[in-house]
Parts: sequence; C-alpha cells; structure tokens
Amino acid sequence: MKRIILNLLLMILALTVQNCVFPLIPFLAATPNLLLILTFSFGFIYGRKAGMYYGLFAGILLDLFYSGPFGFYTLLFMNIGYFNGICTKYYYEDYITLPLILSLINELVYNVYIYVLRFLIRSRLDILYYTKEIVIPETIFTVVTTLLIYRFFLFTNRRLEEMENRRD
Amino acid sequence: MESKRSKYILIGLSAFCVLLIGITSFKDGFLNPLRSGIGYFLIPIQSGVNRAGTSLYNGISSYSTMKSAMDEKQQLQSQVDALIEENSRLQSEQFELQRLRELYELDQEYQQYEKIGARVIAKDSGDWFQIFRINKGSADGVQVDANVIAGGGLVGIVTDVGANYATVRSIIDDVSRVSAMAQQSGDTCIVSGNLTLFGEGRLQITNVMKDSDLKDGDRIVTSNISSKFLPGILIGYAADITTDETRLTKSGYLIPVAQFDSLQEVLVITELKEDMMGDQQESTQTGEQS
Repeated sequence: MKRIILNLLLMILALTVQNCVFPLIPFLAATPNLLLILTFSFGFIYGRKAGMYYGLFAGILLDLFYSGPFGFYTLLFMNIGYFNGICTKYYYEDYITLPLILSLINELVYNVYIYVLRFLIRSRLDILYYTKEIVIPETIFTVVTTLLIYRFFLFTNRRLEEMENRRD
Repeated sequence: MESKRSKYILIGLSAFCVLLIGITSFKDGFLNPLRSGIGYFLIPIQSGVNRAGTSLYNGISSYSTMKSAMDEKQQLQSQVDALIEENSRLQSEQFELQRLRELYELDQEYQQYEKIGARVIAKDSGDWFQIFRINKGSADGVQVDANVIAGGGLVGIVTDVGANYATVRSIIDDVSRVSAMAQQSGDTCIVSGNLTLFGEGRLQITNVMKDSDLKDGDRIVTSNISSKFLPGILIGYAADITTDETRLTKSGYLIPVAQFDSLQEVLVITELKEDMMGDQQESTQTGEQS
C-alpha cells in the first residue's frame, strides 16, 4: 500500500520535473520522457494489471495537463503499461538489456502514435524531418535516462520490499 | 483467470478512452471543472519546482554572465544615449500624432489594451507541441481566447483556463493559424506555425493576394478581421515572399519578434476581441436608437 502511494507520488514528481525543470535547461536538445519510463518500469516489474493501472494514472495526469481531447494519452499509457506487463515473466533483477529494448520500443510507439494521430491526419507528410529532429533525439535521451532511473528504481524497490518483509 | 479479467478491464477502459476522445474532440469544456480542481493541487507543486529549478539554474549561470554583462553595459550605455535622443524626437512626433488622431477620431482603434503579467511555469515535455502553462487563471481575469504577448510581439492564445492557471498555445505550434495583415499596406494574410520551420525560427505566411503590396521586411500585425486576436499586435517581419505556383497567391516566411526559446514572463491581455466587437455592436445599436 505504502509502495503504491510512493509510486504515484513519484509519477507526479516526474511530470513536474519533466514540464517545469527540463525546459529551463537550455543545452538539452531533447527531454527524456520520465513518465513513460516510470509507466513501463512499473508494468515490467509488477505485471500487467498493476502496469495498466499505473499507466491509467500517468495518462490521466498528462491529459489533465494538456487541453487536447481527453483520453488521448490515457489510452496510450494504459496500453503501454499493460503490454510491458506481459514481459514481466522475463523479469529478474540486474538484467538491464530487456528494459532498454523495451524503452526503445515504447518511445518509438509513443512518437508514432502522436505523429499519426496529430500530424499525419492533417497531411503533414514530412516524416523524415520529424524523425530526425524530434523522434531520434528524444529516444536517445529517454533510453539513456532509463539506464539511470531503472537502476535507481530497482534499488529503492528492493529496499522497500525488505522493509515490508521485516515488518511482517 | 486473473489475466483474463485484466484483459477485459483493459479493453473496457480503452473503449471508454476512445469514447472520451471522440466526445471531447467535438465538445471540449465539460471536463474543465475537473481540470481546474486538479489545478488547485498541482499548480503549487509546479510553481514550487519551477521556482527551485529557476533559482538553481540562475545561480549557476549568473557567474558566467557577470563578465559578459560588463561588456554589455558599455554597449547599452551608448545605446541609451542614442535612444534618449530618439525618444525626445519621438515625443514631439507623438504630440503631432495626438493632434492628428483627434482630427481623424482614430484613437479608439489604437487603444491600449489592459494587460496582466504572468510567469511561465511549465512547458510541454516533448518537442511535438508548443504549449505552455502560466500561473494566472480565471481568478486573475484570464479568459479563454485571451491574447498573450511578450517581448513586444504576439506569443499565443489561451486555450484553457483553470482557477489559478491557464494553458497557452504559442503561434509556433503546428496547428496555430493567425489572421494577420501587413501594417503598411493592409494586405491580409494567414500566419501559421509549422514544426518543420520552427527549427529555423520561422513561421509561414500564406494566402496573400498576388497583386498585394506585401514586401520582405514588412511589419506583420494581427488583422482587424480576426475573430480571436485583437487588432494591431505586432507578430513579426515578412521574409522571402514569393509568388505561388498557382499564380493566384503569394506566400513566404515570417520572423517572429518574440523569443520563444527563452520565455519566462509573458503579458496576458485581459480584453477579448469578442467583447470588443460586442461593445462596438452595442454602441452602434444605441447610436441608431438615439
């Protein structure tokens, strides 16, 4: 229970950092998508059901923040949480390759989703430009950040588990 | 069994999301109370994090800017001298303008708009959209469709208002379209944001009539016929105007006045174009009656 609340707070923090601090840093060519990293990590570690609910929460947060059609991000994040949860059977600690590959795939799915539904339908066809200028920088940043955050996250998670076990 | 149930939940929730997207695409607004409520909780956090980030960043950068500031001061001093001279000249012209305006009863068209200052507290995280959030909302008199300016030029328009925040879509966003005109010749055109041009710091000018007098370097301002933008706000300068292949219209680029990559404080014009038109209609109506 405690862990769930902590994770939800972590998501809110991720959103604020992502929106309020990263844009201030002028030398960042792109910003890592922290919320996406958290969603897929939760899905990967805790399984489909938990991943789905965490994704739901993250998506609602994003949808509340932006004034587009409501549910746009919720739909995507919920599904990302769920489908990453399927890979949970391959999950064991200290195994970093699969999370990195997942992070890469998720980031590509996220960008293609936005491109197709927000740009392609308005017949903006310059896909090469968008790939070069937006998708690739953001993907690289996100994958690199995954490397750091996922490690940190595993560490705290193990600590919390130990604490809970001790109490039982 | 367990996994089957969660699959059904996922499908159900996804369908619900699609439904919501469908509804809110056509009728945005009934979720505003919810967004506003969350704003009460989230905005203080965002403001705090933003302030902490800003002060941290400013602390680091102030060292490095110190030296360049000294050089700049020297330059600015000479600039100030030049400006003082120019100012006195302009003042005398201002008086002349005043007299002429009274003569033509034009003062209503160029009135000063009421503005309030606001701080940018959050930006869209990715590079896909150019949307940001400011720390003033309906409690401070900001309304949907209020125009936002900074650095002497148009920045964007408020798309969404909560009690203590407002979301602004900048004119460089890919879906933004502003009805504009050349200040000198009065030729109308459309200024639209474009993600591929944004990297070069440009916007697109389209729908210029082929025999219009729009030239490179012309000041482009918001037009009188726009339904959402107040007239006469400077947007930028025209560049590379060429005739289209169809030979019916001209198009080109616009270099905006406002600096979009370093936006921190903006001014929100609390008057709306709608209200202004309403007032004018009323006054003409009463004029007819009396």
